[in-house]
Amino acid sequence: MDRALKTLLERKLGTSMEGPVRLRQDQAEIRIRPGDLPQVMRTLHDEPELRFEYLADLCGVDTGTTFQVVYHLWSDVTPDWLRVIVDGIPREEPRLPSLTFLWKGAEWMEREAYDMFGLVFEGNRDLRRIYLPDDFVSFPLRKDFHLADDVARSPGGGVRPMERAGAPKDADETTLRRTSPGA
Amino acid sequence: MALTRPTPGGPPPGSPAPPGPPPGAPGSRLPVPATNAGDAVAEAIVVPNALWTPVDGEAYGGVPLDETSTLALKRYEASGEGRRNDGRWGALDVIPTKADYVLDLIRLNSLWPLLSGLACCAIEMMSTATSRNDIDRWGMFPFRASPRQADVLIVAGTLTTKMADPLIRLWEEMPEPKWVVAMGDCTCSGGRYKRSYSTIQGIDRVMPVDVYIPGCPPRPEGLIYGMMKLQHLVRDRRGHWPERNIGPTVPEGI
Amino acid sequence: MSTPTRPSLDDPALSIPVEHAGIFDAIPLARTERQQEFYALRDGEMLLNMGPQHPSTHGVLRVILKINGEQVTDLDPVLGYLHRGVEKLCENADYHQVISQVDPLEYISSLFNEWGAVLSFEKLLDLEVPRRAEYIRVLSAELNRVASHMLYMGWFALDLGGITPILWSFAERDEIMEMLAALTGQKLLFNYFRIGGVNGDLNHEFMSRLGDWMSRAGAQLEAGMSLLNENEIFVRRARGLGVIDRETAFRMCVTGPNLRASGIPFDLRRAHPYSVYPELDFDVPTRSEGDSLARYLLRMDEVRQSIRIIDQCLHQMPDGPVSARLPRLLRPRPGRAFSAVEAPRGQYSTYVISDGTDQPFRMRIHDPSFLHLQLMGLLMPGNLLPDTMAIMASLDPVMGGVDK
Repeated sequence: MDRALKTLLERKLGTSMEGPVRLRQDQAEIRIRPGDLPQVMRTLHDEPELRFEYLADLCGVDTGTTFQVVYHLWSDVTPDWLRVIVDGIPREEPRLPSLTFLWKGAEWMEREAYDMFGLVFEGNRDLRRIYLPDDFVSFPLRKDFHLADDVARSPGGGVRPMERAGAPKDADETTLRRTSPGA
Repeated sequence: MALTRPTPGGPPPGSPAPPGPPPGAPGSRLPVPATNAGDAVAEAIVVPNALWTPVDGEAYGGVPLDETSTLALKRYEASGEGRRNDGRWGALDVIPTKADYVLDLIRLNSLWPLLSGLACCAIEMMSTATSRNDIDRWGMFPFRASPRQADVLIVAGTLTTKMADPLIRLWEEMPEPKWVVAMGDCTCSGGRYKRSYSTIQGIDRVMPVDVYIPGCPPRPEGLIYGMMKLQHLVRDRRGHWPERNIGPTVPEGI
Repeated sequence: MSTPTRPSLDDPALSIPVEHAGIFDAIPLARTERQQEFYALRDGEMLLNMGPQHPSTHGVLRVILKINGEQVTDLDPVLGYLHRGVEKLCENADYHQVISQVDPLEYISSLFNEWGAVLSFEKLLDLEVPRRAEYIRVLSAELNRVASHMLYMGWFALDLGGITPILWSFAERDEIMEMLAALTGQKLLFNYFRIGGVNGDLNHEFMSRLGDWMSRAGAQLEAGMSLLNENEIFVRRARGLGVIDRETAFRMCVTGPNLRASGIPFDLRRAHPYSVYPELDFDVPTRSEGDSLARYLLRMDEVRQSIRIIDQCLHQMPDGPVSARLPRLLRPRPGRAFSAVEAPRGQYSTYVISDGTDQPFRMRIHDPSFLHLQLMGLLMPGNLLPDTMAIMASLDPVMGGVDK
């Protein structure tokens, strides 16, 4: 829980962030808009007081209504992990800038996010499917992709999900697309 | 609307699709299927799978079995080509001969497996092959890298739909007599990946299987037991390979 | 280079009509910029497919090599032959079930997979793990690290053509696996860690095997390593091969021993400590050459440090419970948690989003081998064909982790 990091980020990034810097245990979390991504990452990477040179993880998230891309960064100056959430990517037009200009290693992670969610990273020179066969037409980790014998939705009411003989035909709007409050 | 195919009639109205730069370049328009918030996705999104067909026609929402895209193995078997040079003696096949017996003894004592370790079970297979549980005692040490030189295909590890093509090709490239051993839960029945979208739930959906070795992963002793069972199968000439179809080939009374 | 390129005759977009490219379509149709660049061949180049099944048993990886004679000029790895959809399955499983789902990812070092998952869940729940459980976790995990590095040594030598080291290392490894089987009940996919502790306490069988092993571990492992450390063929082949320099390592997000072999002393057990590592005394070995030999020697150094850690765990083991009491139906508050552990291959991290139900909303698993395979595209060009597998072996990928 590094409060100095919070003030530092607010000073350096300021208006680029949406909402406050959230600190929890050993993670600091900021949210930004998709358009601000290259400039914010460049700031985090190059600023001598920040020096977030180590990209630990890049993943996509489907909140049920929108997409998010979450980056985890590490720096020598702080003992906390920094989580950068790019929020508000619309489902119909899931595009955002690529980070391959800064970290070439992000290329495959972005390919995986494209493969699993359909997120299009503009600037990635090799955006094609990485895990699934090339003729696969869906994006599996989206919330509206159900597994074949779907007993997926947990009633959360004490009934073990595997025992519930649910089928997609029984689904209705409320159970269909699980959304996460505040994901 | 299911996401299995793009909406007929081109891109959704209201979004013009100019012939832009090639995909992958900045500003390109990859065909991202559109989802409208108002769609009620009330059925499973089933990706039509041309590779294998479920035994149960009602499963997976009753996907129609596509007869035109059967596997090359089925076509091969139906044509009867494999029976021509099967090393047996035609109508006399029903009479076991001493030569057959000796041939089977030779085969069962040096079953050379193909290196087809896919996942975690491969580590147990390698552990079986090395010093502590030495499978060379049964003549199976040389794991051949080329299918042309191998006798038995020990499928060790999860078979995914992407890997099914190459694995079936390997199986077809192996010269007869050949056998298949399904090692591990994932190959027997799908195992812990029974509900996954990208695995084949049991290799007996795509190739004939002689021995099933359950376990996750099976201990080396389990693999050795399975291989000894295969040796019994070979010796009792119940591993009749020409008549095998896709699916379990475990004969009655075993 | 200004030499003119010609389209490859192997490019199915040119030679094979789309409708015939059926289920045995060997080479994917070129579409992206990088692919178009890859399939344009210069004079004397050809494409060689190192298919998903090959004798280098790192798993099912397919590499399309562009070679000019014996020298590799470019390559295109094709992954996904072991993609099992674990992340989707984790979204449809309880928090307790997720632990067994993530086991087979990096199947050689299963305990670290579980540790990464369990650490995230404990952060979500703000759960404190009993100290004895933490020590048992460190003990078993370091044993797993020794076993994993022994396997690495065997595989590396096997890819270079030596058969003996893998037999010796598997003998070592099997002994450790039997030890862990006495503790956890399983030889490979342990399913031992639980949220809030471990599954069962140390038992007599495990302690007697461990004590027996520890009394001769040092000498035995040194004897095994001596097969290769001074072997002229091995050293001359591995030295100077596949050098990763510091800039490349950061740019490609390399972690773990591959990073430390390039001179950057970044070890998550010291940089971002978790569990009881702050109380244990061990060094973080680092080497500066960045070539395959350095990566191999570094892992052997890590084995020695792991034995040190195991020794300290045995001496400092506190009493107490081995697991926190948790309800059967676990519903954490909505939130997000990220945690990373230092697996034998690098940083294994998990990011979990909880929505208040008993299943995780999103379980993201990031394993190190995935990014290390990206290094292949940088390290292999310019080397000869036999060296390609040597480089890949020195990076220590596990396809279960790569493909998830």
